[in-house]
Amino acid sequence: MQRTILHVDMDAFFAAVEIRARPELALLPVIVGGAAERRGVVAAASYAARRYGIHSAMPTATALRLCPQAVLLPPRHEHYAEVSQQIHAIFARYTPQVEPLSLDEAFLDVTGSERLFGSGEAIGRRIRQEIRTELGLVASVGVAPNKFVAKIASDIDKPDGFVAVAPDQVQAFLDPLPVGRLWGVGKVGARVFERLGIASIGQLRAYSPRLLQQHFGNFADQLWQLAHGADERPVVSEREARSISQETTFPRDIDDREVLRAWLQDLAAQVAWRLRRHGLQGRTVQLKVRLADFSTLTRAQTLAQPTDISDEIRRAALGLFEQRLPRPLPPLRLLGIGVSGFAESHGGQADLFAAAERERQSRIDAVMDQVAERYGRGSLVRGGRRGPG
Amino acid sequence: MKFTISREALLKPLQVVGGVVEKRQTLPILANVLVQVANGKLTLTGTDLEVELTATATVENGTDGEITLPARKFNDICRALPDQAVVEVSIDGDKAVIRSGKSRFSLSTLPATEYPATEGVAGAFRLSMAQEVLKGLIDQTQFCMANQDVRYYLNGMLLEMKGGQLRTVATDGHRLAISETDSPEVAGEERQVIIPRKGVLELSRLLGDGEAQCELTVGSNHIRVALGEVVMTSKLVDGRFPDYERVVPKAGDRLVTADRHVLRQALQRTSILSNEKYRGIRLQFDQNLLRATVNNPEQEEAEEEVEISYDGAEFEIGFNVSYLLDALNVVKQDQVVLSMTDANSSCLIYGAGDKNSRYVVMPMRL
Repeated sequence: MQRTILHVDMDAFFAAVEIRARPELALLPVIVGGAAERRGVVAAASYAARRYGIHSAMPTATALRLCPQAVLLPPRHEHYAEVSQQIHAIFARYTPQVEPLSLDEAFLDVTGSERLFGSGEAIGRRIRQEIRTELGLVASVGVAPNKFVAKIASDIDKPDGFVAVAPDQVQAFLDPLPVGRLWGVGKVGARVFERLGIASIGQLRAYSPRLLQQHFGNFADQLWQLAHGADERPVVSEREARSISQETTFPRDIDDREVLRAWLQDLAAQVAWRLRRHGLQGRTVQLKVRLADFSTLTRAQTLAQPTDISDEIRRAALGLFEQRLPRPLPPLRLLGIGVSGFAESHGGQADLFAAAERERQSRIDAVMDQVAERYGRGSLVRGGRRGPG
Repeated sequence: MKFTISREALLKPLQVVGGVVEKRQTLPILANVLVQVANGKLTLTGTDLEVELTATATVENGTDGEITLPARKFNDICRALPDQAVVEVSIDGDKAVIRSGKSRFSLSTLPATEYPATEGVAGAFRLSMAQEVLKGLIDQTQFCMANQDVRYYLNGMLLEMKGGQLRTVATDGHRLAISETDSPEVAGEERQVIIPRKGVLELSRLLGDGEAQCELTVGSNHIRVALGEVVMTSKLVDGRFPDYERVVPKAGDRLVTADRHVLRQALQRTSILSNEKYRGIRLQFDQNLLRATVNNPEQEEAEEEVEISYDGAEFEIGFNVSYLLDALNVVKQDQVVLSMTDANSSCLIYGAGDKNSRYVVMPMRL
């Protein structure tokens, strides 16, 4: 069936929310991120800051070197989460099928809403307009027959962009785009394409699938399909999600085990926090890594009982990391943790026979949630952590 | 095998044993009821391999023998016959023939030798007591049993003999119920068995409220309870029940006494607007006053104030309101005591002056 998917992406979201509160910053380079001396990274940069070459995920120290006069603000995640909820309330006027990718980005399947509210394009324009007039924020919107194309469409005319790609225009839309637009290609992949003399998606489409296979392994299939604008993945609202996962692609491939362990702790905490927020507990912990050659490995472990406890998820993931990955550990370009196998959650119901330790960990998480709610995520971190923040 | 019996005399035992025969069976024979005639006595047996029920009746003109018949159809046929009908059952080849007045039914059979009936109960300890006593022990605790929990040993009820007492304990991991009674018969005996959930529910259904006696035979793998014409035999859960005594709190320093009916009705009303899934309720205790509040995802709220007897410091604690109501429903006394320590520790509930039944409810973080 022909679907209509919207990708709504808030422009420089954290920075825009801060600037909305302090209009005097409007024209200044604004960075939201962790302090440089704590190895913080940029969470968001205003467009004025981006002109200096600053982008998100860049170490704050680097950003401040590029633009010493930039205004650095600490992230207020709990506030962004509130604003994000207001944005989602606008989405909910048009469809219940909303898949949030992060606080500032979501896919909407409006296929079933078109009879009520008009074409996908009309719905996209209304949502963008309502976000602007009601919340004073700017969003870029892409409308397309699938998630992949919708995401590119929202990005291509950013900021304040609106691009609708009709089903019969998908190929014409994709062909001239650089191959780097394909999901998961990144810098390393771009270099491979450069060697092969492939610059655009159209050229990739004309390339032999067999040769692609040699260079990209199993990933070739996916590239091939994406290049043809084929992406059947459904929009999965988190309510019905069968797993909750968090992953990060590193700017440079990493093989330092200490750094990777620190990332595991951070990812576990994020996944556990999302589980708790949705009142879910999962029994299966999955570790996902992507190597320099794009091959993706996943390793999973099933726990004795469902959990939403950061430390249990971290330990399971760490066990998989230490014992189930190839040795010596190749450099990783992506690291992710997912939890699935949801059980009926008991909310905050305490257990009579829970080991005292489990109870203690659960309370630590509860305290961290409360602090995060009040002061923002990252204001309280577990010892030994050296991730972003 | 052949026997004649009145419809009513047959229907009663047939319905008792039919209750345990499940509709969808993996083994065809488990959909059947075992019919045995010996010495003018008819014995019917139904089983699901976990719980077995037998019921007996007296027959006329019986010739000994045994066979199995499809339980559902046999039952439906008997029920459909007119009142006071006389039923004759006989075997004809591999069919059973049921005759009554101008009706005739030919039912398929399976040989009785294939029927998985329980043999004797091994390693048994026997005791007898009034049915109402056993029913009391079960009904005071059975609502706390877990249902399909992965901790399979919680999907049942602990029956314990210790220190001259007979005790039942049930828990789903969030709350726990204990009920006990002095029993000179178990003096010197120390034994713990877990009766599976289904066995407990059957037993509660079968036991009467009167002083009629029941005989318990507690073995190492089975428990058998004989109630006159009906005998229930249940497998035991092969597992270790958690150390429940460890989780029963000592008297806390926050002691609340309330009128059970008033408290129950107040909680019942507030529970209407609680979160349907988690059923959270917030209890705020102050000098002789309890304020109970709930809210739900639809932003609806309910609040009740209840006069209580309490003179400790002000404090607040959350619970699953259903767990509190379940306990308040089985407490018999008019005054109920809630004994608490802090918002993270369990609450002990018992009827004022009642030494025999206690309830432990873990709090809920709200």
